[in-house]
Amino acid sequence: MAPDPAVRARLVEAAYACVARYGMGKTTVEDIGREAGVSRATAYRYFPGGREELLDAAVTHGVAQFFLRLYEQIHDAPSLEQVMERGILFAHRAIVEHEVLRRIMETDPELLLPQLTVEGHQVRASIAAFLLPYLRAHGVAPGVDELEAADFLARMTMSYMTSPGRWDLDDPAQVSELVRTELLAGIVVGPEPSGSDPARP
Amino acid sequence: MVRGGTGGAGSTWGRGAPDEGPSAPPRNRIVDAALACIVRQGVAKTTVDDVARAAGLSRATVYRIFPGGKDELLRSTADSQVATLFTDLAVRLSHESDVRGVLVTAISGAAAAIADHPALATLLDVEPEVVLRFLAFDRGSELLRLASTFGAPFLARWMPMDEAARVAEWACRIVLTYLVDPSDRVDCTDPVAVARLVDTFVLPGVRTLRGPAADAPLDLTSAAADRDTAGPAGRGQGQDHHRTDHHRTEHHRGEEVS
Repeated sequence: MAPDPAVRARLVEAAYACVARYGMGKTTVEDIGREAGVSRATAYRYFPGGREELLDAAVTHGVAQFFLRLYEQIHDAPSLEQVMERGILFAHRAIVEHEVLRRIMETDPELLLPQLTVEGHQVRASIAAFLLPYLRAHGVAPGVDELEAADFLARMTMSYMTSPGRWDLDDPAQVSELVRTELLAGIVVGPEPSGSDPARP
Repeated sequence: MVRGGTGGAGSTWGRGAPDEGPSAPPRNRIVDAALACIVRQGVAKTTVDDVARAAGLSRATVYRIFPGGKDELLRSTADSQVATLFTDLAVRLSHESDVRGVLVTAISGAAAAIADHPALATLLDVEPEVVLRFLAFDRGSELLRLASTFGAPFLARWMPMDEAARVAEWACRIVLTYLVDPSDRVDCTDPVAVARLVDTFVLPGVRTLRGPAADAPLDLTSAAADRDTAGPAGRGQGQDHHRTDHHRTEHHRGEEVS
């Protein structure tokens, strides 16, 4: 029997749902099969790597969903500032409200931490690749390397996402200030900084 | 390789203080012993018994001083190392004579010290979750607050305290991102590479931070002051500062890249 893409998709979504419910450590192939309405044997036929391959697929699915929704938020942004502001506001809300992420953070933080930190290079590369076209479209300051700028923005964005520190990322005014100062000041061609000193009494 | 590392004579970075003999306070002896055990066998395999034996104290004494047991012991060991890192950095930062110098030395100095630490590098390799716990989410924000509180006074010579705290937190983020996810393009332990990073991405941000409402334009670097054509009236006291410290800055740079 030829593999059915719909069954595969159902299994991935079932794996994702199980992780949300039981956490990563406790999700079994049986759980996923039951959730998807297929037998354990069928689950293994589609995912010969079993549990690990299913969980990997679930994570990839979650990340893809995230970037898809992110793209919907920012694809029509008129400026690089808007791309960053909308992106950070959305991503912060998405992370805070993300049921599966929250569940994993509660039950298996040790599984998630490396994803965001030492193994974060994949996430970082995805964010950088996502931002690069916007940097190209909007232009960067003379002497700034687009790839380096994209990498720097991706690193900083991940830092604010994992630890907001002193920033309230629910506040659009603060996010706007963050983008203007710590993210884009060296990257975009801004208005010439005034050499004069207007405010001195 | 250029190493602006920390840990001069008397530093307790990665080891116990030189005078921690049997006469030292038990608390210090225990923390030093814990660090020695971690360097030798990692965190997971280190027990309270190991630490007590290495400190030459009874298990009961260790528990009396650290009622929280191993967790509290680990926490105190981490805290003591962070304090050592900050103390060693503070000495070097106090010699810097402009914002650029403070940022470059803080970022490259912290990165080099972490890279040179006998336990941290091994832990990140074999027990990453032990270190990462301190770097992300709530504890990550806690660390950022700590670093920001530590670093702000060194920047407050040139900007208001709240701005200084923001910039210090930012510098800490830069150290952390390259620590947990090293780059093949930027070696954060290399002051020259960090200077380029600071010039490209950070200093423009610090300038923008001041905004049009700032009292005076920010004199970020001594060199920039030479190029700057703005009149002396516009720079206020920064001008004098720059003149007196210029020579020292040049000297310092020479040291860093030699």
